[in-house]
Amino acid sequence: MKKIQLGEFEEVVLLTVGVLHGNAYGVTIKDEIEQRLDREVTIGALQITLRRLESKGFLKSKQGEATESRRGRPKLFFEITAYGKKALVHSKETRDELWNALPNLVLKLK
Amino acid sequence: MKKSAPPRYLLRLLKAFCKPEYHADIEGDLLELYERRELESGRVRANLLLFKDVLFLFRPGIIRSAAIQPLTNNDMIKSYFTMGWRSLAKNKLYSTLNVTGLTFGIVCFLLVGLYVYDELTFDNQHTQRDRIYRVISHNENPNNGLTVVAAAGYMLAEESPNAIPEVESTTRIQRIGRANLVDPENPVYVQETVTIGDQYFLQVFDFPLIEGDRRTALKEPNSIVITEDLAMKIFNRVDVVNKNLLFDFMRTPLKITGILKNHPHNSTFNFTSVMSEPGRNNADGFRQGVETDWASTSFTVYALLKPQSNADSVASKMTRLVLANAELAPGRTLFHTLQPLKDVHLRSEGIVDGGRNTNVDSIPQGNPVYVSVFSVAAIFALLIAGINYTNLTTARASSRIKEIGVRKTIGAVRGNLIRQFLVESLITTAIAFLLAVIIVNLLLPPFNNFVNKQFSFFTATSLRFWGIALALIVLVGVISGGYAALLLSRFNPVALLKGLKIRSGSDFTVRKVLVVFQFTISTIMIIGTMVLLMQVRYLNNSDLGFNRDLMLVIDVNVGKARSNFEWVKTEMAKVPAVQHVSVTSRVPGEWKTFRRVKVKKEGSSSEHQIAYVIGADPDFLATYDIKLLNGRNFQNESDSSAILINETAANMLGLTPADFNDQVVDIPVIARNSFFVPLYNDVNASFKPRVVGIVNDFHFQSLRDKIQPLIIAYNNNPIHGIDYYSVKISPHNIQSTLDKLKAIMVANDEREPFEYHFLDDQLALFYIEDQRSQTILSWVAIASVFIACLGLFGLATYAAEQRLKEIGVRKVLGANVVSLITLLSKDFVKLVLVACCISFPIAWWGANRWLEEYAYHVDVTWWVFALAGVLATGIALLTVSYQAIKTALVNPVEILKSE
Repeated sequence: MKKIQLGEFEEVVLLTVGVLHGNAYGVTIKDEIEQRLDREVTIGALQITLRRLESKGFLKSKQGEATESRRGRPKLFFEITAYGKKALVHSKETRDELWNALPNLVLKLK
Repeated sequence: MKKSAPPRYLLRLLKAFCKPEYHADIEGDLLELYERRELESGRVRANLLLFKDVLFLFRPGIIRSAAIQPLTNNDMIKSYFTMGWRSLAKNKLYSTLNVTGLTFGIVCFLLVGLYVYDELTFDNQHTQRDRIYRVISHNENPNNGLTVVAAAGYMLAEESPNAIPEVESTTRIQRIGRANLVDPENPVYVQETVTIGDQYFLQVFDFPLIEGDRRTALKEPNSIVITEDLAMKIFNRVDVVNKNLLFDFMRTPLKITGILKNHPHNSTFNFTSVMSEPGRNNADGFRQGVETDWASTSFTVYALLKPQSNADSVASKMTRLVLANAELAPGRTLFHTLQPLKDVHLRSEGIVDGGRNTNVDSIPQGNPVYVSVFSVAAIFALLIAGINYTNLTTARASSRIKEIGVRKTIGAVRGNLIRQFLVESLITTAIAFLLAVIIVNLLLPPFNNFVNKQFSFFTATSLRFWGIALALIVLVGVISGGYAALLLSRFNPVALLKGLKIRSGSDFTVRKVLVVFQFTISTIMIIGTMVLLMQVRYLNNSDLGFNRDLMLVIDVNVGKARSNFEWVKTEMAKVPAVQHVSVTSRVPGEWKTFRRVKVKKEGSSSEHQIAYVIGADPDFLATYDIKLLNGRNFQNESDSSAILINETAANMLGLTPADFNDQVVDIPVIARNSFFVPLYNDVNASFKPRVVGIVNDFHFQSLRDKIQPLIIAYNNNPIHGIDYYSVKISPHNIQSTLDKLKAIMVANDEREPFEYHFLDDQLALFYIEDQRSQTILSWVAIASVFIACLGLFGLATYAAEQRLKEIGVRKVLGANVVSLITLLSKDFVKLVLVACCISFPIAWWGANRWLEEYAYHVDVTWWVFALAGVLATGIALLTVSYQAIKTALVNPVEILKSE
């Protein structure tokens, strides 16, 4: 299993899509990240990450209905794929491994 | 709540750079956000944030790729045409060569195509043509062997629709002879074929009627339907329905019940009048015995089958129907087949045109060999022109290297270039087509005159032809331009702009192969034309064994011209310009059917053998200048049971010059058309004349056939009465001689129509198709050679241009003009020589196949090939050497100083 490396922002976006479960599209994802993590997300950065994740196969998208507030433009809903979940698990496991290996002393030094 | 729109320029900007597949939902997100922000923090801030978002979207991954979108809009198409036109206008020499070549090719193709199309669409005017079949009888009996006749019995036509469910209806016609047709009120004697058709004739066939009702026109006995032309001839007007006409051998006048439009030229039917079948109790007695006529060949029968019927099964049902009803003579077998109407014109070889009297000409047949030769020649002419285009365009690829390179660099994809070149070739083809149409239009009247057809421009019937022609020509444009387009658009722009020479080996070979192909075809056509020319000359000029010059042949059309011939002969002999007069039943080189008999030596135990018969008076040999080899000529009336025979007949009968004299021969049966029947009512009786002389073999039939055994019987004989006067005249003042002869004939019988032919013209008619084909083929051959040479000229010009520097250097280094010319011509001449080698065997094989049709023909000798080879090479050399000499003579300073 190689190359299921996720960048930090990628991981955040992927997790948020999971959190939003079924209601994840551009605006909601942006709002969710901004609320939970208290950091600003530009549409450009978000979009490009979403597309990249999609092209890597971690996400899949489905066109949704058009609403009035969007003037007929469709929403593009994202969903985590099985491969995406595996990537998240992999990412968490590697972190945990590192955490477990961390000597207690180091934390206490703070 | 009032919603305000975000600034449009921002959204447009997004649309401009965003990947189209991402655009819709990103814009949706932005709009949703915009709306919320506007509510929260006002419009200005919302605009600002939107601006920021759009700006941050401008990053790789979102921006569309730089690939050019397919530019198939009108501007681009317009540009193709502009550029195509400019490129043609810039290279005037090559464009002219291309256009001229294509124009010639298309002209040949169109003219020959018109001819072929016409031959292939015979009888297309009948809407039910796909369901109309001609009934063919295959008869075999001990006397005749197998005969195949396009005719059948009366009752077959009558009963088939009732007895066979697939037969919708039938019609029968009969051409019973020739007679004068006159308007009783104003007798002008017009000799016409007497055609009788039953009442369904105009329903099965839809000959267009100007006046009259096709359902009833031929229903009543003594009705007649005539064509416009005939109406004009007799009455000088066409509104003659209900007027009366009279055939001079009948007592009852005929009522005109309809006027037919003249037949189109591509119709196998050439009748000018059809009269209805006589009633049951007709005094003229045609109907006697028709109720038992199941198996004769007196009627031409056409059957109209129901849709989706199987002709073969209908034919066998007809055979069964006939065999169930007819009583065939012992030993005779008969079966029927059905021939589709569309095959009648071109595929009737071996089928005798039946249902007619022997003095009626059979319907003219087309020659399928010539039709296919022409189609092939026409397509080849077009092909050669197409090849020219391909060759010239690909050869010039390197001159256009820079252009292509620049185009590619500024963003043309391969498709653009292909389209560009295709448009160029289509412009060329279109110009050539327009020119060709104009030329064809100008050439049509003489061409029509020559092939004896009436083609007109863009008439309703030939619209389909023009459609096919246009499609084919566009196809040629696309294919010939297409190869060049694919080839030229393939190169790598960097290589192109660096000025690398493109030496694509395969391309060069293709071009060579194409040149060889062109010249192979041209050489075959040259040889074909020469052989045809020689054969036609041979046919028209060979010694036929009799003298045909200034021989006037007058038909015997009225009874008194036959019975009172002695007086007519004496009167004619008194005309000073008349050298000899003779009366005969048939004339040498006859166009009507000869009667045949079966003959053997009296008392011999061998089989009877077939011989042809001419009945002739004692003046026959002198008039026709036929040599009497042994024995004596006829002397007087006492010779009515004497015969002369030709050498072939003497051999056949086993008679030698020493012992033939007064040998009695036995002639029991006679064939007036296809069938041998007993000569006398008493089956056992036979005609037993004495052989008194042997004459030289002479060609009494076309040179297609071997000389057959011939019996010349005295004019008063039981086989065939006299039918012609042959008058040998002197060449001076022919018209006045004709007038005097006519006066004699009319004085003999006032109803005399005076129908005459000059024998040499009539003989030439045998070979008219060959003559025409020869002329058409020679023109196509000339055009092909010309087109091929245009191509060669173009290639040579180009090669010379390419090698200018080389030539310059060579000259400076001391090469002489001759060696330079050789250098430049060598390659091309080699190709032509290869072409000759390929074409000779093909042409030899083809020419021999064709000549086999003639019993007497020229031999294909080596010098024909040599001449054709020299001709092809010579023309090619001439074409190439013009450029070679021009280049070789250039002052090297002119060439070399530019660098």
